[in-house]
Order: sequence, then structure tokens, then C-alpha cells
Amino acid sequence: MLEIKDLHVSYGKIAALRGVSLSVAEGEIVTVVGGNGAGKTTTLRTISGVLKPVSGSITFEGESLVGLVSEKVVRRGISHSPEGRLIFGRLSIAENLRLGAYNRKDSAGIASDLDRMYEMFPVLADRRSQRAGTLSGGEQQMLAIGRSLMSNPRLLLLDEPSLGLAPLIVEQIFKVIVDLRQQGVTILLVEQNANEALRISDRAYVLETGEVAMQGPSDQMLKDPKLRTAYLGVD
Amino acid sequence: MDYVLQQLANGLALGSIYALLAIGLTMVYGILRLINFAHGDLMMLGAYLAAVVIGSAYIPIVLAVLVPTVVIGIAGLLVERTAYKPLRGAPEVAMLITSLGVSRLLQNSTVMGLSPQPRSFKLPGDLTTSFEIAGIRLTMLDLLTLGLVVVLMVGLSVFINKSRTGMAMRASSENLQAARLIGINVNHVIGAAFVLGSALAGLAGFLWAGRYGIIDPFMGFEPGLKAFVAAVIGGIGSIRGAVVGGMILGVAEIGFVGFLPPEFSGFRDAFVFGLLLLVLLVRPNGLFGTSEVERA
Repeated sequence: MLEIKDLHVSYGKIAALRGVSLSVAEGEIVTVVGGNGAGKTTTLRTISGVLKPVSGSITFEGESLVGLVSEKVVRRGISHSPEGRLIFGRLSIAENLRLGAYNRKDSAGIASDLDRMYEMFPVLADRRSQRAGTLSGGEQQMLAIGRSLMSNPRLLLLDEPSLGLAPLIVEQIFKVIVDLRQQGVTILLVEQNANEALRISDRAYVLETGEVAMQGPSDQMLKDPKLRTAYLGVD
Repeated sequence: MDYVLQQLANGLALGSIYALLAIGLTMVYGILRLINFAHGDLMMLGAYLAAVVIGSAYIPIVLAVLVPTVVIGIAGLLVERTAYKPLRGAPEVAMLITSLGVSRLLQNSTVMGLSPQPRSFKLPGDLTTSFEIAGIRLTMLDLLTLGLVVVLMVGLSVFINKSRTGMAMRASSENLQAARLIGINVNHVIGAAFVLGSALAGLAGFLWAGRYGIIDPFMGFEPGLKAFVAAVIGGIGSIRGAVVGGMILGVAEIGFVGFLPPEFSGFRDAFVFGLLLLVLLVRPNGLFGTSEVERA
């Protein structure tokens, strides 16, 4: 579904990605783990057209995404839930969700998807006309995911959905991710919380200083001694 | 008492014009973080256009209102697309300097194309007639100004709060990156902000010229600056703040002249800017401004 080959991305003179290749097949949950500055967020931002690669290719369902602005990437069926959530705090919860469907014209479909979001996240339904800035961190994360789903994506890019959240909330968020896959959304997940992320994903990539250091099925990665010491905090 | 009410009415009429100008400044600042120095000069062009329209005989007043509004709205979009759009992603200061350049360009083109001399601006007779309501003397122009501002504010608030573009505008003004990421075409949103803001500036040009009866190529500077002060007092980025700030500024300015001893009236601008400092001391983000820090 998504195929990235030999991707190079730089911030000015500093190389952030140095030949990253990765792929996501339809229906998969693929996790990217790695330390700070490894290039995880850069990878997602390049897929969604925020950053332009120096070289390399990104194809989605057989068509190149390189050079497309974010708006066009969204139209192709990829939605990006960014790190830090970036919800619109001064807008209402309902408005945040509606903006997720900005490029859609089918008002009936939008309305039914809106109901679906409220069903999936009941905390949002109770407070739909409140300012989104009044939500707690976990609720804001759910809103951010809901907003990305409103564009009806086939591929969802999730950047650090568990960042800064209490363990109980993290568990809820990961459950949502698993549910989404069952509803047919393919997911590319970037996480610091490698342990949890590996448990729910099919395959994983480990990025180190802009390169793929390891890759393989998630259950094997979980058992890998090198990975366990480096990212899972187990010795 | 009548004198106080009279000054208040005069202040609101002047404040309405500041409000019209401040709306455009605050919308553009909200989204692009650009202090658009060329905004007052678009107003100046609006005044010249109105002069041309009124100068051609037997033209209904409604055209003198509509032509500057529509044409300057389009001119604002042109300025955005040619001067500011190429600088998307550049440091904010680059756009600021560019807007100073655009300002000079518009002023000097008017000097070269027409004349640096001030010329008188004659309102159609119907608008200069004055009458009294409850002891307050108003001209038709004052009434038109106040009426237009009320109608436009209601319309604008419906547009900003209810329409899809208005919603996208508020989102873009809160976080342009996030708006882009979720698929909002931010160039459309920025374009809409420029069209709307400049159209209101064009209209303000007509009203300002009608009020003072004289136009010149540099007339946009002072009201542009005052409107910026109004936007800051109200809380830059907030449209409601721009309107309230404009009204406060208009009333204060007229009040300083009307109530202080005549020898102080030359210092009206000093009082206006003093007011700005005072507001900022008490409320650094302006009356309706929100701080950039939101709950994480």
C-alpha cells in the first residue's frame, strides 16, 4: 500500500533521514520505534507532504506522493495525526471534527462519520460544543485521532499518540488503534512507548540517526535482546 | 449631557472607520503573523476610487460604496498573491519588510500616476445633510457609517462562526501548520482573509474621505497606524477585539479633543498612544486576546 524507498530528507545541511526504506501493506499496523532525533517524525512529515525529500521515492497505492502538498495527500486517502496533537483549542470539539472532513463534499457521509466518532469516543459526544482546549490530554488525543479519521483515510499516520498520557489512558488509545485496524484502516504508528506499540503491531522498524537499524515482525522484535536493552528498558 | 452624547456619537462614527480597517489587519495577522503596513494604502486607493466614481455625474451613492469595496478587495488579493505568497515559509520579518515596500509602491504610484497634491473630496449632497436626533447632530454620512458597520459586523460574525471557510479561517489562525496538515487549503483561507479585509479597507477609504473632505497619496498612513493600535488594544487576532478596539480608540480620540482644554488638542495622538500603553500594561494580550500558551 505504502512503499518508501531510499528516502533522504534534510533540515538545511543536517541530514535527518539517510536512505530510509519501509513499506506498509493494506490492513497492517506497522510501528516505527527509535530514540529522539532518529527520524521518526520526519518520516511521517515527509509522507504527508510537510517536508520535501532530497531524494528517494514514496508511493501510495502505486502512485508517487513526492511533491504533493498536504491537502493533496489527504485527498489520496492518508491522514496524519501529528505529534503534540495540534488540535484547535479555541474551536469546539464538533468544529475540530468537521474540519477533519474539510475536503469531503458528501454531507450525508460526513454526518454519519461524525456520529461514528461520537460513538467511538463518548467523552467527545457529551462535550461536543465545548472548546477543545478544555479537554484533558487523553481526550485531546482522542479528538486528534477522530479529526484525522473524519477525512475517511485508508492509511492513518499516528505520531506519538501516547505521549505524556497516564498509563490507563495509554491503554485506551492503543485499544482504539487495534479497533481501527479491524474497521479496515491501515496504520503506521510512531511511538516512544516501544513495548506497547510492538505488542499491537504486525511489523516494526527501528530507526537510528536517520537509518533503518532493524526491522521484522513485532513479536520477534519484542524478544530481541539488543532491542530489549536499547528501547524496552529491560536488561 | 447633549455635548457628551454628541461627542460619543462622533467618536463612534470615527471609531467605526478604525474598526473597518482593524478587522483586515487583525485577520491577516491572526493567520500569517504579518503586520500589513500596506493596509492603510489600500484604504487610500479606495478613497481615490470613490472620488472617481463620485466625480462621474449621476452615479448612485450605492456605487460609491460598492466600487471601492469590490475593487480594493480584489486589489488586496493581488497584493497577497504577488508580494506575500512567494514568501510563505520565509521568516516573518521578510513579509513585514515586503509590506513596507508594497506600502511605498502604492503611495508613489499614486503620486506618479496622479499627483502628490491633496485634492478635495466632495460627497454627494444627500450624504452631507445633517439632522438632529435627541439633541445629537448627525450627518447622513455618520448614519451610513454606523449602519454599515453594524450590518457588516453581523454578517462577518455569521461568516466567521458558521461558514466552512470561516471555520477554516479560525483554525488557520490558531495553528497554520495543523490546518495545512489536516487538508485545509490554507492559500484559499489566506486569500479569503485578504479579500475581506481589503474590501473593508476600500470601504473605509470612502468613509474617511467623506468625513475629512480631502484625499492625498499618503493619507493611509495615519489611519492604518491607528487601526493597528485599535487591533492591539482589542487583542490582535481577535475580530471582536478589532471592532471594540476601534470604537474605544475613536471615542477616546474625539473625547480627548472635546473635553480637554484646547491647547492640548494638538496632542491627541500622544493621548491615543498613551491609551495603548495603558491597556497593554493591564492586559498585555489586549482586551480579547488569548495568550499563545494553551493547555497541552
